[in-house]
Amino acid sequence: MFNRKFQLASGKVVVARPSKIPLISLLMIVLIAIALQVTKFSFTTLLLNGHQFFVILRGMLPPNLKFLPRIWQPLFDTIKMSFLGSLLGALLAVPLALLAANNIVRSKWIAGFFKFFLSILRTLPTIVVALIATFIFGLGTMAGTIAIFMFTVSYVGKLTYEQIEALDMGTFEALESLGLTRLQAFRYGVMPQILPTYLSTTLFSFEGNLRYAAILGYVGAGGLGIILSEQLGWRDYANVGMILTVLIVTVSLIEWLSQTARRKLQ
Amino acid sequence: MDNLLEAKLTAQPSKKRQYLLLVAVILAVFAWSLTAIKFRAPDDGGAKIAANIIRGILSPDLNLLWNFTSQGVFYLLFETICIAFLGTIFGAILSIPFAFLMAPSVVSRPVYILTRFLVVVIRTVPALVYGLMFVRVAGPGPFAGVLTMSLTSIGMVSKLYVDVIEDLDRGILEAMDAIGCTTWEKIRFGIVPQLIANFSSITIYRFDMNLRDATILGLVGAGGIGAPLIFAMNAYRWHQVGSILIGLVALILIVEIISNKLRAKLVNG
Amino acid sequence: MIKFENVTKIYDNDHVGLKNVNLQIEQGEFVAIIGLSGAGKSTLLRCVNKMHEITSGKLTVNEVDVTKLKGKEVRQFRSKIGMVFQSFNLITRTSVLGNVLVTLVPSLPWWRRLLGIYPRSAKLAGLEALDNVGILEKAYTRVDQLSGGQQQRVALARTLVGDPDIILADEPVAALDPVTAKVVMNDFQRINQQLNISILLNIHHVDLALAYADRIVGIRQGEIVFDGPTAQVTPEIIDHIYHSHHVEDAVNEKVPAHV
Repeated sequence: MFNRKFQLASGKVVVARPSKIPLISLLMIVLIAIALQVTKFSFTTLLLNGHQFFVILRGMLPPNLKFLPRIWQPLFDTIKMSFLGSLLGALLAVPLALLAANNIVRSKWIAGFFKFFLSILRTLPTIVVALIATFIFGLGTMAGTIAIFMFTVSYVGKLTYEQIEALDMGTFEALESLGLTRLQAFRYGVMPQILPTYLSTTLFSFEGNLRYAAILGYVGAGGLGIILSEQLGWRDYANVGMILTVLIVTVSLIEWLSQTARRKLQ
Repeated sequence: MDNLLEAKLTAQPSKKRQYLLLVAVILAVFAWSLTAIKFRAPDDGGAKIAANIIRGILSPDLNLLWNFTSQGVFYLLFETICIAFLGTIFGAILSIPFAFLMAPSVVSRPVYILTRFLVVVIRTVPALVYGLMFVRVAGPGPFAGVLTMSLTSIGMVSKLYVDVIEDLDRGILEAMDAIGCTTWEKIRFGIVPQLIANFSSITIYRFDMNLRDATILGLVGAGGIGAPLIFAMNAYRWHQVGSILIGLVALILIVEIISNKLRAKLVNG
Repeated sequence: MIKFENVTKIYDNDHVGLKNVNLQIEQGEFVAIIGLSGAGKSTLLRCVNKMHEITSGKLTVNEVDVTKLKGKEVRQFRSKIGMVFQSFNLITRTSVLGNVLVTLVPSLPWWRRLLGIYPRSAKLAGLEALDNVGILEKAYTRVDQLSGGQQQRVALARTLVGDPDIILADEPVAALDPVTAKVVMNDFQRINQQLNISILLNIHHVDLALAYADRIVGIRQGEIVFDGPTAQVTPEIIDHIYHSHHVEDAVNEKVPAHV
C-alpha cells in the first residue's frame, strides 16, 4: 500500500507523489479535538437542552401584527443608512482601488500602502467601528452610516483593485500605443471593462449592509437594531418575530431587485 | 456612399434616456436617505474621545497584550479562532445538504425554491438573535458561539456551494457512462473530486469571515474576544481596547494571508 | 522612413532583445518579420513606437529621433503609428464604434474626453474606417460578440481612423483560423497599396509572409540574419532563420510583459 514505485513492462519506473490527504485529515482531527475542548463543546448538552432553542422561536410565532406601525420608521432608517453608506463608500472606493492597483500605479510602495490601508480597514469589525462612531458622533443613524461607509470602502475597494489587477493589460497597452495618456487609457480602456462588475459589487455590498445595519442598532447606531435589542431585552418575542418578518421581507425584496439589476449588468 | 454612413450615424442607439433615468433615481433615493441622518460635527466631547481612542490604540496596554493567562489577549484570540473554526466546519457540513436541495440541476423546482427561501430566512435573522437563542441552550460562553456560527455560516456557504454544483463538468459523467461506471462510482470518482477543492476553498473563505464576525458574539455573551473588547470600550479603557484591537487586526491579517495562499493552491492545483 | 542604426536593446533582466540591428524601411513598404518565438520580433516592433526604449544605437522614424522624445511628444508621435496585436486588445463591453473612436480621444477637448462624448465629425471618420475594412454593419455591436477575424478588423479600423503613416502588427493572424487569416492579410495588403501606409508585420506563418509581404526580415536571437525582397527567399534561408542551436532556449524564453 505504501509502495509508491511502479515498474512498467518496458522497465520504466514511475514514482507516485505521496498523497497529502492522510496528513491533512490527521491535522484536522487534532485541531477539531483541541477546538472542542477550548470551546467546551458538548453534544450531551446539545441533545438535552436543544429544545431550548425553540422556546424563543416559538415565542416569535405568530408575530405580533400590532407592533407593525412602530417598525416602519426604524426600518426606513436602516435602509437609508445602508444606502447612503454604500453609495458614498463605493464612490470613495474607486480612487483608493486605483491607487492600490499594481498595474495602474507604477510605484510598488504606493500600491502596497493603499492595499495595506484597505486591509486594515476591512479587518476592523464593523460593530466596533459603529460603537466608536457613537462615542464620537453621538447615538443615532450618523454613527451607523459611518460604520457602513467604512466597511463598503474597504470591501468594494479590495474587490475593485483585484478586478483591475486581473484585467488583460493588452488593451491598456493598445491604447497607450495610440498615444493616450495613462489616465485616458484608464478612462477608456479599463473603466468600461470594470464598470459592470463594480456596480454589481456595490449592489451586493448594499444587500449585505442592509442585513448588517439591522445589528448596528444594538450598539446604538440607529435603525431596526434599536427596537430589536429593546424587544429582546423585554423578552417580547412576538414583537421580535414581527421585526424579523419585516426584515426578511424587505431584504428579500431588495435582494430580488438588486439581483435583477445585476443580471442586467452582466 | 456618404449617405450610407449618414444613415448609419443616425441609426446609433441612444442610451441617454436610460442613463438620465438611472442617475435621477439614484439622486432621488440619495436625497431621501439624507433625511435620516442628522449631520453634526463631533462636539468637544466627541473630539476628546476620538483623541483618547487614537492615543489608546497607539499606546496599547502591553500587560494585557503579552498576558498568556485566560484573561490575556492571546488566549482570547485563541478561543475566538476555535469558535470560528468549529463554527465553520459544522456550518460547512450542514451546508452540503442545503446546497444540493438548492440546486436546480439536482432537485425539482418547488423543492429548490422552498429551500432557497428557508436559507434566505436563516441568513437574514441577525446573528445576535441566534446568539441569544443558543445562550439558552448552552449557557453563556464559547459553546453558544460555536452553535451560532454554525447556523450563520449556512447562508453564504450553501449559496456558494450551489454555484459549484451547477458549474460541474458534466462531460466527465458522460465519459464515465461510456466506461460503464455505476451511479455511485460516478459520484465518488467523477463528482466528489471536482467538488472537494472548490468546497474547501469556500469553507476557508468563510472561516476568514467568521473570524471577523466573531466580535459580534461578545454582545450576547457567546464567547470570544468580542465581550472583553466591548466592555473595555464601554468603560472607556482605551489602552485595553488598543491592545485587543491590535491583536485582532494582526490575527485577521495573518489568517487572511494564509487562507489566500491555501485557496490559490486548492483551486489552481 | 524607419531607420535602425546599430540598435541594441537589453532588458532589465539582462536578456538581450536586439543585438546591433541595422534596418531601413521606406514609406509604403510591406515588411514581414519572421523568426522563432522570443527571437526579438516583438521587441523590434515595440521599439519603433517607443513602447520599449532602446539601450543603444539610433532609431529615426520620419526624420524624428525616437530616443529624444519625451512625455507628450511620445504620445503625439505614437498617434501617427498604428498598432495591431495578436489578442486584438479591444475594449470589451464596448461597441465597435466606441473602440474605433478611442484613437481620437487625445485630440478632443477635456470635457469631451471626460464624458466620452464624440463630435459628429469623429463618428463619421470612425464609420468610414469601419467601412474601409468591411464591417460597417457591425458599428453598434459589442466587440465581444464578434468573431476573431471581425475583431482584428475592428483593431485595424482603430488604427486607420488615426490616419497613420505606419502600422505595426504583432502576430495579427496568430489567433485566427487559416481562412480568416487570409482575409485579414488581404486587408493589410489593400491598406498598404491604397493608402501607401508602411506595414511592419510579425508573423510566424512563413507561407503567409511570403504570399503577402514585399520584403522579408529574418531575425534570430536578436540579430537580423536575413533582409531582402520576398522573391529572394529560399528554403535554405528559411532554415537558416529558424535553425538555432538554442531552439529550446529560444522557445522557452519569455519576453517580459509589456506594461
